[in-house]
Amino acid sequence: MNFKKEYLDIARFAVERAKKAGAGGAAVTAEAYINDSESIQVTVNARAVEQMIAVKEAGIGVRVLRDGKMAFGSANDLSKEAVGAMVDGLVKKVVYHTADEFNVIPGKDDGALASNGLGYEDLGSYDPRVAEVPVQEKIKTALRMEAAGLGFSPKIAGSMMAVYQDGTSYAYLANSNGVSGWFRQSGCGGGIDFTAAEGELRESGSFSKGVVKWADFEPEKVGRKAAEKAVSMLGAKPIASAEMPMVVSPEIGTQIFSFIADMLSADSVQKGRSLFAEKVGTQVASKGFTLIDDGRLKGGFSTAPVDGEGVATQTTPLIVDGVLKTYLYDCYTARKGKAKSTGNHTRGGYGSAGRIGTTNLYLKPGDAAPEAIFAGIDRGFYLTVVLGLFAAIDAASGDFSIPSAGFMIEKGRKTYPVRGVTIGGNIFELLKAVDKVGNDLTWFQSLGSPTFSVSSVKIGGSGK
Amino acid sequence: MSKKKSMSRRSFIGKSTAGLSSVAFSSALMEMLLSSTGCKSGPDRASGASDLILPEDVLSKAVSHLMSKGADFGDVYVERAAVDSVASDDRKINTTTTIQKGVGIRAVKGGRTFYAYTDSFEPKHVYETARYVAAAAAAPTASTTPSAITLTPFTSGLSFPIKPLPSEIGVDQKIEFFKALMDRAWSADPRIVQAIQFIREIIRQVNIATSSGKIVRQTLGLTEFIARTYIKGADGQLQAAWDQRGAYAGRDFFTGENAFERVVDAAAAKAAKLLEAVDSPRGVFPVVLAAGENGVLFHESCGHGMEADLVFKGSNYKDQIGKQTAAKGVTLIDDGTIESFPGSYAFDDEGTPSERTVLVEDGIQRNYLCDIIYGEKLKMKSTGNGRRQSFRFPPIPRMRNTFIDKGPVPAADIVADTKRGIYIVDVGGGGEVDVITGNFMMGVGSAYLIENGKITRPVKGATISGMGVEAMKSIDMVGDDLKMFPSAGRCGKMQTAPVGVGMPTIRVRGILVGGKGEAWTDIEGGKR
Repeated sequence: MNFKKEYLDIARFAVERAKKAGAGGAAVTAEAYINDSESIQVTVNARAVEQMIAVKEAGIGVRVLRDGKMAFGSANDLSKEAVGAMVDGLVKKVVYHTADEFNVIPGKDDGALASNGLGYEDLGSYDPRVAEVPVQEKIKTALRMEAAGLGFSPKIAGSMMAVYQDGTSYAYLANSNGVSGWFRQSGCGGGIDFTAAEGELRESGSFSKGVVKWADFEPEKVGRKAAEKAVSMLGAKPIASAEMPMVVSPEIGTQIFSFIADMLSADSVQKGRSLFAEKVGTQVASKGFTLIDDGRLKGGFSTAPVDGEGVATQTTPLIVDGVLKTYLYDCYTARKGKAKSTGNHTRGGYGSAGRIGTTNLYLKPGDAAPEAIFAGIDRGFYLTVVLGLFAAIDAASGDFSIPSAGFMIEKGRKTYPVRGVTIGGNIFELLKAVDKVGNDLTWFQSLGSPTFSVSSVKIGGSGK
Repeated sequence: MSKKKSMSRRSFIGKSTAGLSSVAFSSALMEMLLSSTGCKSGPDRASGASDLILPEDVLSKAVSHLMSKGADFGDVYVERAAVDSVASDDRKINTTTTIQKGVGIRAVKGGRTFYAYTDSFEPKHVYETARYVAAAAAAPTASTTPSAITLTPFTSGLSFPIKPLPSEIGVDQKIEFFKALMDRAWSADPRIVQAIQFIREIIRQVNIATSSGKIVRQTLGLTEFIARTYIKGADGQLQAAWDQRGAYAGRDFFTGENAFERVVDAAAAKAAKLLEAVDSPRGVFPVVLAAGENGVLFHESCGHGMEADLVFKGSNYKDQIGKQTAAKGVTLIDDGTIESFPGSYAFDDEGTPSERTVLVEDGIQRNYLCDIIYGEKLKMKSTGNGRRQSFRFPPIPRMRNTFIDKGPVPAADIVADTKRGIYIVDVGGGGEVDVITGNFMMGVGSAYLIENGKITRPVKGATISGMGVEAMKSIDMVGDDLKMFPSAGRCGKMQTAPVGVGMPTIRVRGILVGGKGEAWTDIEGGKR
């Protein structure tokens, strides 16, 4: 993939067109975001290719602002005619929208970086190899990932889903407040589900990993890890309902933090949807709990020089030693909350006007070796698998009951596998009950967590 | 709604393309799109050049290029879509519209699928993409001269009227109508702190040309409505609930039980109920599921495992045809022909006519959900379940409107016969399944305790989980009150698809309920 000047020109054209379309009435400001991407996805099964998908696509998303009213539109036709017609339509219909004094197309005062048509700072988030490596090589990578798992143990019966996927993209941004720049990102990785079988017993194990650079992806590791998880679950059984300490694996930790991050969005807080409202400066988690969002993490999966509206990204400690420090802001919520944008306006592509989202989010590692965390527990539960986490936590109240699997911990050691239990509690109480944080920070794409433990959770189970 | 287990819980490429879920505007384009199709109502008109997005000779040439290197099967899928949405959040109303177009091209060789798409309708780009896919799927000894393929248009009598067409309603009218819904939502209860309403109207025009020589075309108009309400109790407790409907129809479909006003009211009432609710008990005990929307439980727990691709790769339903996979008296059906329902269509996305498929009959597994490719691998014929989200995706086996058929028990007797358990009004919270082990989970939106055969206090925070097959075998009462639910929930399995669900009132004798309330142990299943 390459920088395409014509796309930056089309973005500027859209902005100018909006201004022209509004001539004679209240001034129109506008922003155009173009995303040009390429992607390869290879699915393999039983040591052969099952499916190969090649994608090339570019499209534009435009926001126009007039009289405090904002409208958004998008299309995947980048001809001047199509873009011009769409922009004209947006300027016409924006008058029907609800005015909101905090709506904004960002300028310098909001933290937007102009860039003058040049590329934004390179933070190591792009590797040209991801697009250059021939498809045949990517197919081999997917096959290697599956083979490593199939060869891990004779108990591995086969893979259910084995996917290699990559993507490279160039983002072009222009607005009527002087912003005009571009940046690029890449990512590649794989994910796999294995079935382990022994007699009548069947268990599953899945693992996935995504990285920025082609050379950093280790398919065998992913395959082996998923197979190891499947085999280790063989013979899993339920336990009886009880309250006990719980150790959380990094993989599950990241899923929990991703959920919490939604409640830390200034948008959720300002709209009365988050119980973190009015909690800045107070203890919301235990002492050793420090949660950081870092948009500038060198080589991070979601690292970018600017966010989806051109504001410089930054390192934002959200919770420090258990004390809530700030929320995640974009320019709209920053104006509304008399704060500064934290550079967290994220876009899911050109077709999305964007919303507040995390960049690289992680729990700061502590001093404890993972073994030391287990060693302190006489009888507890090690959480390694959750099902439907997104549906199992109530975003409003924080209450959860999560169908789970994992292992028993007895006398400081991981013993037998457990399935068919739920863990119940409240997410706010859980954060305050975190008592040990491990030193093994592990990244899953743009989310990172070490192993950590919680002093007590309620387990529901049918076992004896 | 439902979400199948997928590898990447966070998409690797969160940086690339956006699908139809995002939106934009051009009434002119929308008009053009509609005027060129027979979608206004009634049966399809006879085919003519004006009915196709790309001319017949372009489609024919594209298929010829696609098959020039020895593929076993191929298709060219041409799509235009206009998506128009109105949303109210924080008492502010905004609209978005998007126009999406593209051509998805697939070749299948030796059971392997090769796929690419272009967002251009230029014949030269379409042919280029077809040649790229042909080369990827190339057989070593294939000829390189494209042989001409003659295409025959197919039509179907199954067509759902879209009344009114989204383009027949002005932006100002849409917003005025929406403002009334917004005001209604906010005034339902003085304790409401936030309310969201969202309506999305999609018109999709599709042409499919296949290497077996057929062209099908159809236009579908999908309308989806969602309301979510947040409410805060005197004690600072925050609760939220939602309600939703969706159908392949215009706004006129949404009357009676499906009226937009009813949806808005239901979200507020459910949220208010949660403020009075006690924490759900946990343990294994009887669960009575109300008729209708709860059918999603069986979509999740069993339906996915019966999809041919997953069966082929070893889901827990593999090799079960003719065997007992549910309790006697339980019949599970996947029906793609119910007028206007979100999983209905004339043809699936590889051109196979839709049908009504009996999956489980009186407890015995009879069929799987097949597309062409995986049907062939299982030596079964396509049941018309090959679906795709858009031109960006190759088709895969997906559910349509999946439901448990009605049984003999008067619905009112089911709760009366249950000594202790919970009564679920709607699972609502979404769910996930691990198709390898058959383990599934569903969040529970709205539920009550059953005490001595009576529905008593509301409960909150429950989830249900277990093995799909075991849940189906544990059904001991099937009510006579089958109710179908036109859902706005999208099922996600690498790509999204609108689906409908349904069921009568049913009792599952013992299932794992999670919650943070008291642990219930040794509960008897009921009198039977």
